[in-house]
Amino acid sequence: MKQIINNNSSLFSNFIKNSIKAPSPKVQQNFMKVTSELVEVIKKILEAEKLIFDVSYEGKKYWENAKKHKFAFVDGGAYSSFLSSSAPFAIRANTYIVKPDELLERRELFRETVKFVGNLYDPEKNLYDLDEDPYEDNQLLTKKKDAARITFETAAVARHVYENEKFEYLLLHGPLQTPIMPFSGPEFPLFKKEVIKYILPFFKKKEINDKDRHFINVYLNSINYIKKAKFNIFGIVEKTGSTIYLRNLLYRAKQKRLIDDVIFDKTISLIKRYKINDATLFELILSDCQALKPLEVEKQIPSKAWGDWEEQMNNFPKVFIGYLRTNKNQSPIRIESLNNPKKLHQDYEYILATSKLLPNYGFPAGLDVIDKAARIHSWLGKAAKGYYQKYYLNLALNSKDPTTIISALKSISDGGRKFKNRPKAGRLSINAK
Amino acid sequence: MVEENLKTDQKQGGFQLMLNKKITEPWTSIGTILGQPVIDSYTFYLKKYKAKKGDIVAAEAKLPTGEGKVIDVIVWGRITEIISSNDFLPNEATKELTEENINIQDTILPLTKNDSICMVTNLGYTKNQVGEKMLLLPINYPVAPGGTIKYPAKKDLASLLNSEMNSKNPILIGKLVAREDIDVFVSADNMVSRHVLVIGMTGSGKSVATRRLMRELMHKDYPILIIDPHGDYLGIVKQAKKLFPKHVIKLFYPKISAPSNNKEVIFALIEKLGKKLTDPQYDFLNWLLDNIPYESGQNLMDYINVLIDRANTAAANKRNKSSAGMNGIGNTGATTMGVVARSLRVVQSKLKKMEKDNKENMEKFPHLKFEELPDSYSQPENIISKSQVSILYLKGYESLPSSTIVSILLENLFNHRSAGNKTIPPFFTIVEEAQNFIPSRAEGQDGYPSVETIKKISTEGRKFGVGLMIVTQRPYKLDETVCSQMNSYIILRLKNERDQRFVKNTMENWDDEVARQLPNFANGQGIVSGQITNLPLTVKIKFDADLVNSDLGDEDFINDVQNWKDTEITKKKKSFYKNFDKIFKSDQRRPN
Ligand SMILES: Nc1ncnc2c1ncn2[C@@H]1O[C@H](COP(=O)(O)OP(=O)(O)O)[C@@H](O)[C@H]1O
Ligand SMILES: [Mg+2]
Repeated sequence: MKQIINNNSSLFSNFIKNSIKAPSPKVQQNFMKVTSELVEVIKKILEAEKLIFDVSYEGKKYWENAKKHKFAFVDGGAYSSFLSSSAPFAIRANTYIVKPDELLERRELFRETVKFVGNLYDPEKNLYDLDEDPYEDNQLLTKKKDAARITFETAAVARHVYENEKFEYLLLHGPLQTPIMPFSGPEFPLFKKEVIKYILPFFKKKEINDKDRHFINVYLNSINYIKKAKFNIFGIVEKTGSTIYLRNLLYRAKQKRLIDDVIFDKTISLIKRYKINDATLFELILSDCQALKPLEVEKQIPSKAWGDWEEQMNNFPKVFIGYLRTNKNQSPIRIESLNNPKKLHQDYEYILATSKLLPNYGFPAGLDVIDKAARIHSWLGKAAKGYYQKYYLNLALNSKDPTTIISALKSISDGGRKFKNRPKAGRLSINAK
Repeated sequence: MVEENLKTDQKQGGFQLMLNKKITEPWTSIGTILGQPVIDSYTFYLKKYKAKKGDIVAAEAKLPTGEGKVIDVIVWGRITEIISSNDFLPNEATKELTEENINIQDTILPLTKNDSICMVTNLGYTKNQVGEKMLLLPINYPVAPGGTIKYPAKKDLASLLNSEMNSKNPILIGKLVAREDIDVFVSADNMVSRHVLVIGMTGSGKSVATRRLMRELMHKDYPILIIDPHGDYLGIVKQAKKLFPKHVIKLFYPKISAPSNNKEVIFALIEKLGKKLTDPQYDFLNWLLDNIPYESGQNLMDYINVLIDRANTAAANKRNKSSAGMNGIGNTGATTMGVVARSLRVVQSKLKKMEKDNKENMEKFPHLKFEELPDSYSQPENIISKSQVSILYLKGYESLPSSTIVSILLENLFNHRSAGNKTIPPFFTIVEEAQNFIPSRAEGQDGYPSVETIKKISTEGRKFGVGLMIVTQRPYKLDETVCSQMNSYIILRLKNERDQRFVKNTMENWDDEVARQLPNFANGQGIVSGQITNLPLTVKIKFDADLVNSDLGDEDFINDVQNWKDTEITKKKKSFYKNFDKIFKSDQRRPN
């Protein structure tokens, strides 16, 4: 087992992190010991619960059969790098849609499924009366950006559901459901009305009230909408420090009286203290092409919320979370879905096959593709930046919204400090390869 | 605001002005200008597969006029390079595909997301009013980043390339390599009054190109003279009756003669073809040339015969101590005279041999009628005449006499034109294998009188309606002055680096990008540039299969060998050899 730990990159880095805080060799030894012992018992539980299963992979055969299907991959990108201040200025979520056996002209579609330029949030309105505070703190800014990204990614998925797409699978880069607790604070702003209409096309209510415009409600509406999708939707998370599976596994074991309350509490505390997480632990348990059956978990913990969000939190669907080891070198990826996979083996075979296309990275290749596409085209260099700046400036100008226009102008004029100092879009050189 | 966002998404950029009623077909937008364009060039982001290298594209732009006004224009440019990358196709994917033998087409990996960045070199701008005469003007301001790039419709591009040429007589040369739906024309007016250099390695399509233009000129009844050392143009004779029923096509073999006022050229040839002479011998030769008058138009062979006779007589007189007719050579010895006589016989036999070779070559075309070249001094109208093509077939002649023949011929014709006495109409001369007639100084011009003649035509011919087309596979070996006078070019495949350098040095507006294409051209692909065309264009020259001299064909050595039969002489020789061989083997004796 020590050998495994030593050979194991992510666990090893975790180990190093621990050692930095407690550099004594004794502590190091102890960490290894604890980890390997925990691995042993968790593995036993998983086996007892029949949660470990093998996923078959035969690349050639798989794709020959799968090529007739239509697949989608969704990821978002925000152009907040243009900003010197204020919330996301440009945000979008893109979809890569591919039907492998289709004629080349129609085989692939890169779609900017939802996008928005300007201020998403209503500067006038807030759910709660707050003291006027002109300085937004950084934390709030980050939260606003995160909420925007999460909203848009879900909105892209929702749009495909709304448009009645016939995908076999849609994979989303990232968790399918995020804990909303961080956004439940009284200072969190409302989305603008137009934004709601745009990202919730299915939202039938005639009068949109203020509460409807809060991120938590928007998100809840989207999530419940996409839960009804006729195609399979999975959220794929690559790097994760989450312990959600582990905790739920132990909880389940406790419920089934496989372990007692004392052991449960002790183990939970141990996991925290030793900074052990799902990924590192399961990397030691699963071998290549092995997976953990999804557990049904609750992502929202109502007791922790600010304000009056308990009802919403309870209305969020539960999430099914599993793990899949896609290669020998990487920790397993987390797989989330809103419904319990009916054809679990088949579904995981698909995720494995797309991940095997990136044999080192071990992550669904289509997500890698859309990740690159949704991001600003940094590979185009400065030239493209100039192009996009102009493009977004145009959009901003078309919006006729003074704040948007000013923030756009600021963003392209070197951080807004020196307006006359126009951005230098680089010249593209052939030699610079 | 959201609606605005969405609307902008669908909006097609720009070119509102272009979409006026004069445009018949819409232009497709193919990309967006990137980065920081400069006046001569810019880069743009190309939608996949919407254009290719060499294509001519259009950008909308605004240019300042002198008076502080700004006008809408179309900037035309050529795609010189495309950098394509499928940045969405992860490299490591290929490893798995290979190892697992997976067909990439079956997977979800993207195949078509090739992002391409095009480099464009600007050609000029036209006012934004398509349909009218599109005059291509020099650009004074860069295009703007973010602007739309359009792929011009066939008709509009064709009219840019051709109609604006300002030619009353456009003639078809071929099609654009990049867009085979577009015919390319050159200006016949500029071709006949100016000079065209056709270069390309052997087999690149020089003769095909030349015949193409010649054919078009024939349709205009323009008199043409072809200096044809290899017989590349004999094919036209066969087709003449059918294709050009009212044309006269004459095939000439050379006769070496000159007008008396140009006899020095003849004398120089005699000197150069003969043995190397010592000073006294040289004096005697000069004495002969001075004392035996060369009659205008006299056949060189006849004249040499007289010279030999006279030299022999003089030598005999010397031996007999007779002084009759020996004025000025009293001190010359009989031996000296004998050497000169022998040298003249060498000249005679060389010329005879060339004449014979030439004749034998003509006999390979029994169905063709060759005539002796008329005296270009006294009968130029037999060579240059409306609706006539005259082909001078020089095969068999070495380069010195060839040069002399061509020099005399062109000199006479040029003099007739420059005299302004209307004996012959304007005409067009095609000089094939020009390196033989206008070698550079480095190659040695001594004894090549055609250099001076062609130099003169290249500098003054324009005034007198003597057009020149110089065809060669070795441009760097050509006389520099003549080259500098060339103002139109057809450049076919060139692999030799010195030739490529020559092209670069000779032509203005030559960019390295074009030079890089030269070695890769297929047969008949080339660049047409200079005054016969509007813009330098990469063209696939139209191939007139019916004008190929099928008798010439490619050498078929394998067939030759298969049908090989030893001649009677060879057969006998071989059988004799066996006998001799026996004898020598039996020979035991040592030589003393
Ligand atoms: N424009 C063309 N289109 C098609 N084939 C061509 C073209 N030009 C040349 N070729 C081919 O190449 C051969 C050689 O062309 P030619 O003009 O005789 O070459 P060059 O005179 O440069 O030695 C031709 O016989 C023909 O087969
Ligand atoms: Mg030739």
